Amino acid sequence: MNMRRRRRVPLAPYLFVLPFLAIFVGFALYPMGFALRLSFTNWRGAGLLESVGLANYRYLLTSEDFWGSLGVSAVLWLLVVPLQVVLALAIAVALNRARLRGLFIGALVAPFVTPLVAMSQVWIVLFDKDFGAVNSALTAAGLPAVGWLTDPTWAKPTLALLVLWRTTGYAVVLLLAGLQSIPPEVYEAARLDGAGAWTQFWRVTLPLAMRTISFYVVIATLTVFQLFAEPYVVTDGGPFNSTRTAGLYLYGHITNSDLGLGAANSFLLVILVFGLSLASIRILRPREDS
Amino acid sequence: MKRLGSAGRYAFLVVAALASLAPLLWMVASAFKPGASIITDPFTFDPRTATLGNFREMLDTVPIGVGFRNTAIVVAVKGAITMLFCPLAGFAFAKYSFPGKRLLFGAVLITLMLPTLVLLVPLLLQMSELGWVNTFSALILPGAVDAFGVFWMRQVIAAIPDDLLDAARIDGCGDLRLFGSIVLPVIRPGLAALGVLTFINIYNDFVWPVVAVNDQQHQTLQVMLATLGQSITSHQLGADWASVWGQLLAASTLAALPVFVIFIVLQRQLIKGVMAGSLKG
Repeated sequence: MNMRRRRRVPLAPYLFVLPFLAIFVGFALYPMGFALRLSFTNWRGAGLLESVGLANYRYLLTSEDFWGSLGVSAVLWLLVVPLQVVLALAIAVALNRARLRGLFIGALVAPFVTPLVAMSQVWIVLFDKDFGAVNSALTAAGLPAVGWLTDPTWAKPTLALLVLWRTTGYAVVLLLAGLQSIPPEVYEAARLDGAGAWTQFWRVTLPLAMRTISFYVVIATLTVFQLFAEPYVVTDGGPFNSTRTAGLYLYGHITNSDLGLGAANSFLLVILVFGLSLASIRILRPREDS
Repeated sequence: MKRLGSAGRYAFLVVAALASLAPLLWMVASAFKPGASIITDPFTFDPRTATLGNFREMLDTVPIGVGFRNTAIVVAVKGAITMLFCPLAGFAFAKYSFPGKRLLFGAVLITLMLPTLVLLVPLLLQMSELGWVNTFSALILPGAVDAFGVFWMRQVIAAIPDDLLDAARIDGCGDLRLFGSIVLPVIRPGLAALGVLTFINIYNDFVWPVVAVNDQQHQTLQVMLATLGQSITSHQLGADWASVWGQLLAASTLAALPVFVIFIVLQRQLIKGVMAGSLKG
C-alpha cells in the first residue's frame, strides 16, 4: 500500500506489463480483428479483399459438413465426458484417503504429459486392423477382428478411448483437489448421524464436489470441441469423415486456402465454445441449500 | 468389512494405474523388440532379445535430429521469454496500482479463455502478412508471454507480504531490483512449477506448429513425428510393417524421453503445475 502513495505516476508497472501487452495486441487482438473483417470476404490468401457479406456464415450454417463436424465432436463428447467424470470421481474418492497417493497420481498423470503425437502413433499401431495387438488378442480369444480405425462405427469410440485414457489422470488430480478441500469435520458430523460410506458419498462428497465437477466438465467440453491432434494423426478425419471433428474441419479450410471461410468458422466456434461452457456451468451449478 | 473395503480400494487403484501405464510401457518395450516380433508376438517382452535396431534404422531414415534441434530452439527461446516476462507482468498486477490495471488484466483473462483453435486462422493470416510462415519467429512469438503464466504468477506474487517489499524499498531498492532480488527468490517454488509446465507445454505443442510450419527445415519434433509413418514408408519402399512400426515406436519413445525424465525427476513441480494449469482452457 505504501508503495502506491510514494509515486504519483508509476512507470514501472506499465513497463513490466508491456511485453505481455505487446504479444497480446500483436498476436491475439490484431489478428482477431483482421480475421473478423476477413470472415466477411472470400479471401483466399492473396489479392484484394472482396466483401461477400454474410455469405461465409450462411454457407457454413447451411453446410452439412459443418454440422457434421459438430456432430462428430458432440458424439465424442458423449463418449468421453460422462464416463470420464464417473471414473475419475471413483478414482479420486478411492485415492482421497489412500496411502502411496503420489505414486498412483504419477501413474495416472503420465499419459497426460506424454507427447500427444507419440501416443496417437501408439494408438495407430495398437488398433491396426490387420496387425494390431488389440486384434491379435481378439482373434486369439476366438473373436472376430474389428476395423477399429477403418470402420466408421468403431473409429469414434477408438478415438474416444485415446482421449479418455490420456486425460482421466488430469481429471483425477483436479477432482482430488476438490475432495481434499472438504473439511473432515463434515464427514465426522455425518458419521455421528449414523451415515455409512455410501450415504456419506451421496450426501456429503458429491454435493460438495459439485463445483469442481462442473469446473472439470467445462474444461473437458472445451478440450473435446477443440480436439485436433488425435484425429489428425490417428485417422485424419476418416473413415468417411466419421472422425472429422470441428477442429479438423476448421483446419481443412486452411489447407484449402479458404481463409475467409476459415475465419468465419473460427468465430462460429468461439460462440459455440463459450455457449457450451456457460451452459455446462449453468446446468451443473450446485443448487442453493434447500 | 473395513479391511475388505480397503483391499478393494487398492485393487481398484492398482488396476487404474496399470491401465494408465500399459500403453506407455508397451510403446517403450516394443521399440526395443527385434524384427517381426512387434506383430507376431505383441504382448511379451524378453529383455535378452532387446535391440537398438529400430532406433538405428529410424535415425538412418528420418532427420529426427533436425526436429529435436528445432524443438530445442523453440523451447529455449519461448521458454525464456515466458519465464522472464510472466512473473514480471504478474508482479505489476499483484503489487502495483495504476490507471488502466483492470483493463489490462481483462486482456489477460480474455487471452486465457480464448481457445487456441480459434486463433489458428487469424494467426496464420498474420504470419503470411508478416512473411513469417516457416520461420522460428512464427513458432516462438505467438503466445510467448503466456496469459496463464501471468495469471498464475500474479496469484503467487500476491502472497508475498507487502511489508517485505516496503522494507526493501525503504532501503532504496528500485522497482527492477525489487523484482530481481526479492520477488524472484521468494517465489522460486512457483517458478519451478511454471518452468516444468512451460517446458511440457511448448515441447508437446502441436496444433500451432503444424499450421505455422510446413518445411522440414523448421518442423518441430512433434510435427515431424505426426507424419513419420508416411516418411518412413516413402523412404524405404517395400519396408515391412514390423520394421515401419518398430521405427515409429522408436521415434515415439525417443520423443517421449525428455518428458519421462522430467516427470520422474520433477514430479512434484509438475503435478503442481498441472493442477494450477487446469485454469487454462
